[in-house]
Amino acid sequence: MDLLAQILVNGTLQGGLYAVMALGLALVWGVLNIVNLAHGAFIMLGGYASWYLYTYAHIDPFLGLPLTAAVMFGLGYGLQRGLLNLVIRAPMFNTLLITFGLEVVLTYLAQLVFSADFRTINPPYAGNSLAWGPVVLPLARLAAFGVAIVLTVGMWLFLLHTRLGRAIRATAQNLVAARLYGVEPRHLYAMTFGLGIALAGAAGTLYGTVSQINPYIGASLTAKSFAISIIGGLENPLGVIVGGLFLGIVESLTTLYIGQTFADVASFGILVLVLIVRPSGLLGKTT
Amino acid sequence: MSSRHSRLLAGLFAIAAASASAGAALAQEVVLGASVQLTGPVANTGRYYRDAYQLAIDKINAAGGVKIAGQSHKLALKLYDNQSDVNLSVRQYTQLVSQDKVNLLLGPFASNFALADSAVSEKYKVPMVQGGGASDQIFARKFKYIFGTLAPASNYFGSTVGMLKSLKPAPQSVALLYADDAFDVSVAEGTRPMLKQAGLNVVMDERYSTNATDFNSLLSQIKSKNADVVLVAGHETEILNFVRQAKSLAVAPKLYSFTVGVPSEDFRKALGKDAEYAFGMTAWLPTTALKDRWFGDAEKFAKEYKAKFGYDPDYHAASGAADVETLVQAMEDAGSADPQKVRDALAKVKFESLYGPIAFNAQGQIELPQMVIQVQGGAVAEIYGAKGFVKQPKYPMPAWDAR
Amino acid sequence: MKAWQIGMVLAALLLLAGVPWYGSDVLVQFGINALLLAVLAQGWNIIGGYTGYASFGNSVFYGLGAYGVAIAMVQWQLPFGVGMVFGVVLAVVFAVLLGIPVLRLKGHYFAIATLALSQVMTAIVSNVGLAGQNIGLVLPPLNNDPLFYELSLGLLTVATLTIWGLTRSRFGFGLIAIRENEEGAAVMGVNTTLYKVLAFALSGVFSALAGGIHAYWITFLDPDSAFDISLNVKMIIMAVFGGPGTVLGPIVGALSLSAISEFLSSEVTSIAGLFFGLVIVAAVVLMPRGLADMIRRLRKTGWRYFSENIRAHRL
Repeated sequence: MDLLAQILVNGTLQGGLYAVMALGLALVWGVLNIVNLAHGAFIMLGGYASWYLYTYAHIDPFLGLPLTAAVMFGLGYGLQRGLLNLVIRAPMFNTLLITFGLEVVLTYLAQLVFSADFRTINPPYAGNSLAWGPVVLPLARLAAFGVAIVLTVGMWLFLLHTRLGRAIRATAQNLVAARLYGVEPRHLYAMTFGLGIALAGAAGTLYGTVSQINPYIGASLTAKSFAISIIGGLENPLGVIVGGLFLGIVESLTTLYIGQTFADVASFGILVLVLIVRPSGLLGKTT
Repeated sequence: MSSRHSRLLAGLFAIAAASASAGAALAQEVVLGASVQLTGPVANTGRYYRDAYQLAIDKINAAGGVKIAGQSHKLALKLYDNQSDVNLSVRQYTQLVSQDKVNLLLGPFASNFALADSAVSEKYKVPMVQGGGASDQIFARKFKYIFGTLAPASNYFGSTVGMLKSLKPAPQSVALLYADDAFDVSVAEGTRPMLKQAGLNVVMDERYSTNATDFNSLLSQIKSKNADVVLVAGHETEILNFVRQAKSLAVAPKLYSFTVGVPSEDFRKALGKDAEYAFGMTAWLPTTALKDRWFGDAEKFAKEYKAKFGYDPDYHAASGAADVETLVQAMEDAGSADPQKVRDALAKVKFESLYGPIAFNAQGQIELPQMVIQVQGGAVAEIYGAKGFVKQPKYPMPAWDAR
Repeated sequence: MKAWQIGMVLAALLLLAGVPWYGSDVLVQFGINALLLAVLAQGWNIIGGYTGYASFGNSVFYGLGAYGVAIAMVQWQLPFGVGMVFGVVLAVVFAVLLGIPVLRLKGHYFAIATLALSQVMTAIVSNVGLAGQNIGLVLPPLNNDPLFYELSLGLLTVATLTIWGLTRSRFGFGLIAIRENEEGAAVMGVNTTLYKVLAFALSGVFSALAGGIHAYWITFLDPDSAFDISLNVKMIIMAVFGGPGTVLGPIVGALSLSAISEFLSSEVTSIAGLFFGLVIVAAVVLMPRGLADMIRRLRKTGWRYFSENIRAHRL
């Protein structure tokens, strides 16, 4: 019983991390209709940014998170404005291909600049834990979970209650509506992509404190992020939390009862099932 | 841009050499070909082979090169980056033998690569000496042109299990975790009967996917099953995650041991203090006891390697350097660089090297015992070898909050 | 097609078929690889180019074909041909069973669903003992590259002829109608589900055959290389680079990109991947309609072609 409780806690905490990984992907996909295959590569870059901040400037990863997010926002804004805006109206394959190309480029640049060595963001408290009865709560994971919830809820409030947020939501419906808010579409697209990448950067920071970063982690993180955003649905950031928690718990239980090698069968199998049965996500409206 | 520069220089030298050879009949170069992982997910270990090959070849050339039938030949290296892609590496090895016409082959890193690439050497009948693949599968195919200088995977935990029997307090239960690739499955298959024979109770025997990042569930099970000893056969990134997550879940068995990671400087750096107490194994340590014809001894090799490349070599690097020396030795024994003759010489080769005594069994694999090592005070300490304890192990491992 | 055009194609085919006699070993090897990629790009062309469904699951067909051959030859000691048939059967079963539910999804959702399917297949096969789990299977080596080359060339020819036939058949027009407007096609009396599943299966057959040939040639197979998603991305890029929804575009795309990639990985070796990524990005921005369209229009418009493309597709 203790074991089951611990496994559920592990899954929940992992799920929080998953949610923040997928948040930016879901935003960009839902609003801009860009399926960003480079999303995981941006998570990787965010991880490196925080690693450098921590290792050379001794800035705690959680304190440095806004800084990393700001840098990543700039990168995302620039990429959308200078590159992705150029192909926004091209056929669908093209946005898929260009983000795949970006993924390749970012991965190789990372390997050239950062080397293939793996990095961990390892502040002294990273390995500490709290005991909650028989259950152990890893501190860094708990903090990452908290940040994930704050970011997701913050995102939700931002989309609901700010002018820019409403303009972004309107864009998701149609482009003309966005103009009614008086926001220039090119700027709006870049802002949205920038926000998505900033969230990816934040996810990278959290990922680096609980796992390890190397230039090649991107692709599998992208795949996971897809699963989460599909399961949760693209309409609402809160759906991503549901998707993340669901996936985290399912993977933990699969590992416990069936075997770790089946964790991917479970998560991607569920993704396919959800797509077939409820294409708008677990929380989404049925059509 | 420096690589471009050096390529230009190399080109100039080549022209100079060519014009010089027009006059004095300079002996032909012996070209060794290899395709290793310089980019991609396993580039981190692939670089050991590139650097070791280069260092060994430079060293041998500086000493006059290889003497074949009374004539000195310089060695040259033709190296490709396979981008951690098995298919590409197969094509590159084919290119090396059929187009670049290299004389002999050096191996890639990792068992699955060696498994695929050995088919090329077999097909073209050009011997390959590889120090990157230890899986027993590579040598189970009765291929005649593949020789391996990594100790057999099935015996990786052999010395560790030997040590377990003489530890006080004696450990009772063992958890065995392994990644689902060729090498680690071979390790697990070899380890199981040894554990049984040692009378240890295997409470967990779990396979996990290669590149798994979340070990929380497995760790929680280890804790709940109270395993005294945890043996993990996997890759460095996984083991890094494993140790970090063990700490954050306060899982501290009496002992844990890993097939890879512990000998690598990069691994110890990434974990910092948390690497402490981790057991591992290596078939090689840079000691003066290992005498070498070219470098003097293993310690000198390690020093030169570090001075040149800026990081410590581990057994991968030593094995790679030994591969070059093995080919050189075989050419000298054979008195020829002819692939067929070198192959026959390789089958009988026997000499002392910086890596240890080199000789191949009937399948073409080396037989080297593994030494048990442990991270103590940030450095690797040799704990247990063929002759028993060398140094006292720090055992049992203290709880994470008692360090 | 005019007589001189048919003559040109036949001459090109003869030239290609003769490579093992006058080309080097490396050229033959490169040829096998490039031709198989061209088959994959053609296979994708049926479902992606003509029907408009961006399948990321074609690498599953490729993998099933490869495993069909490997399992038959290694585990059951059956001849290569039987393995090919087995692989094709696996691919068709997969296409029908999963195609029916998945082909109801549109656009990105279909792409993601097929992407997930290839992940699921990797994970499942890693656990199947018959398929050698994650370790993979080692096939008996056959040292006969010319044979593999001619097989690949033959397969590509059959695939291309099939597509050519498609473009002049009711079935082909139905697929194009689905691509342009699926509801409209249904109204016109096209049985869209049947057509889509058939297109998916047909594209699967060619991919599976390519996978089977490749497995026997490379003599080694594991789940990661069999269900490699980047292989799927490659076939899409090659088809899109050459011109999706055309008969010869994917071949041109596959052969030219293979040549570029091969050149890069032997010349600039460790930054080849970086260049390849840049080529993709630049190609999407500058020539989103593929090489075929560029060649056709470049003569008329000159360099303005590129700036016009950007103007047409930017925000």
